[in-house]
Amino acid sequence: MREAIVVRNLNYVYPDGTKALKNVSIVIREGEKVAIVGPNGAGKTTLLLHFNGILRNNSVEIFGKKIGEMRREEIVRNVGIVFQDPDDQLFMPTLFDDVAFGPINLGLDEKEVKRRVERALSLVGLLSSKDKCPHHLSFGEKKKASLAAVLSIEPKILVLDEPTANLDPKSRAELIRVIKELNESGITIVIATHDINALPEIADRVYVLNKRVIAEGSPRKIFSDTNLLRENNLEVPEIFKLFEVLQCFGYNCEELPLSIDEAIEHLTRTVETEGGHIHLHIHEHTHDDVRKLRKKYNHH
Amino acid sequence: MIEYPEIDRYASLDSILHSFDPRAKIIAFLFLIFSIVLVPDLKIAFIGFLFSIFLLVLSKIPFSFVLRYLKWVTMFILSFFIILAFTFPGKELVNFYFFNITEEGLYTGALISIRAISAVVLIFPMVGTMRFDTTIKALYMLKVPSPLVQMLMFTYRYIFVFADEFQRMWTAMESKGFKLKTSLYSFATIGKAMGMLFVRSYERAERVYQAMVSRGYTGNPKTLAEFKMHIKDYFLATLVITFAVLLHIFCLVK
Repeated sequence: MREAIVVRNLNYVYPDGTKALKNVSIVIREGEKVAIVGPNGAGKTTLLLHFNGILRNNSVEIFGKKIGEMRREEIVRNVGIVFQDPDDQLFMPTLFDDVAFGPINLGLDEKEVKRRVERALSLVGLLSSKDKCPHHLSFGEKKKASLAAVLSIEPKILVLDEPTANLDPKSRAELIRVIKELNESGITIVIATHDINALPEIADRVYVLNKRVIAEGSPRKIFSDTNLLRENNLEVPEIFKLFEVLQCFGYNCEELPLSIDEAIEHLTRTVETEGGHIHLHIHEHTHDDVRKLRKKYNHH
Repeated sequence: MIEYPEIDRYASLDSILHSFDPRAKIIAFLFLIFSIVLVPDLKIAFIGFLFSIFLLVLSKIPFSFVLRYLKWVTMFILSFFIILAFTFPGKELVNFYFFNITEEGLYTGALISIRAISAVVLIFPMVGTMRFDTTIKALYMLKVPSPLVQMLMFTYRYIFVFADEFQRMWTAMESKGFKLKTSLYSFATIGKAMGMLFVRSYERAERVYQAMVSRGYTGNPKTLAEFKMHIKDYFLATLVITFAVLLHIFCLVK
């Protein structure tokens, strides 16, 4: 598979002299969905700004081409960024104008612009609000609108900065669904996020970033590394924790589930192989194990 | 709560001026405004004023809404009226110690006041009868210089964001016990809050610019707009412009 984004030994220093990124190397292949996690101030947003050349650095390559040598239009066609604050993203007087902004800049004809705007808005479920002003939208709607504004460009790579932050549960679930669908349709996705519970759904692979790349691997690999989690103030999904608790009570589980779907699958399998029920019990180690587990997750 | 400066609050009403083509409306009304402002005769300026009121009635925009804004403008204009009445050289009417009110002063003051108020009244049937984004699009299509249109566009988009931001800062200040008094401390605090707002706006501007460049901004945003001129629009525009011209013909004839 082609490499969509390659970053080799990227360094970045803020104008005030603080080092933001140190020797960051990342590879994202076409069609993947990759999450970047890390504490506040770890340089996630700064890294994302390199992906579409807002911060230009030739350590970044898009589909094998050095980003410093690409024209702006070429970058825009390849990489779309959805920023964290939707008020930064939605700058035109109406939703329609905003979603049409990208396609018009690419010089598409009027018919094509309209087709794309309608498609992008219906993907996020906002077609009926297309004539509204951004300040009349709710935060969740604004967040979805800013995604639509980038989708209308139909980029090959979609970069999202905290897409699920500050959303109510329903909007959050909808946004996760849209992101998954987009990935299934072939778009490469990069997400910077703190939303650990959504991670197994929206990422095949995770990079842990804290100014430099600390670790890389599947969500399961990252969540199983207790030391890594502790040193970087990272959380694990609640489902994962619950099954660790079940393990203390004698539940037999080698691969801990990370999402509801995996949990259902796991429980069904266990019930079927153990003769129609699940056996939990308290044995001599249970209390010790539970105490250890509590200690493990009370590190912060 | 902060009240938003929504000049287009009554844009969704239905009147002959609401369905007037935005471009024709802007041109016709600007023509009329300039015409009234340049009228040299008080009586004819007053006819212009009555016509402005007539257009306002036609637009169905409530008077109470217009008066709320007009109140401040009138206070401003009133100060001109008073200054002119007392300082303009001419035939003395009343004498207070050092100051005289002159007939010419009253006349000029009244003329300037009525012209200014008419112009402000006309803004409402012009801009208040369409959504502000439509106004922006119309200006864009009338080939108004792009930097000017962009400035208007961003002002309109972000004034609400900044109003909300200031509201949040104010709430935070009040919940930490700040009370507005006429003390140096109060003013200094508000000054700092305003300064903070500027810093935040500056940083936001940078982020907005990044978002724009990310979507291919090159300095010339284009928009799609569908306006169609109907016979009714040509007729209405001609009517308003003819009236504007007639005002000056009257002046010449007199």
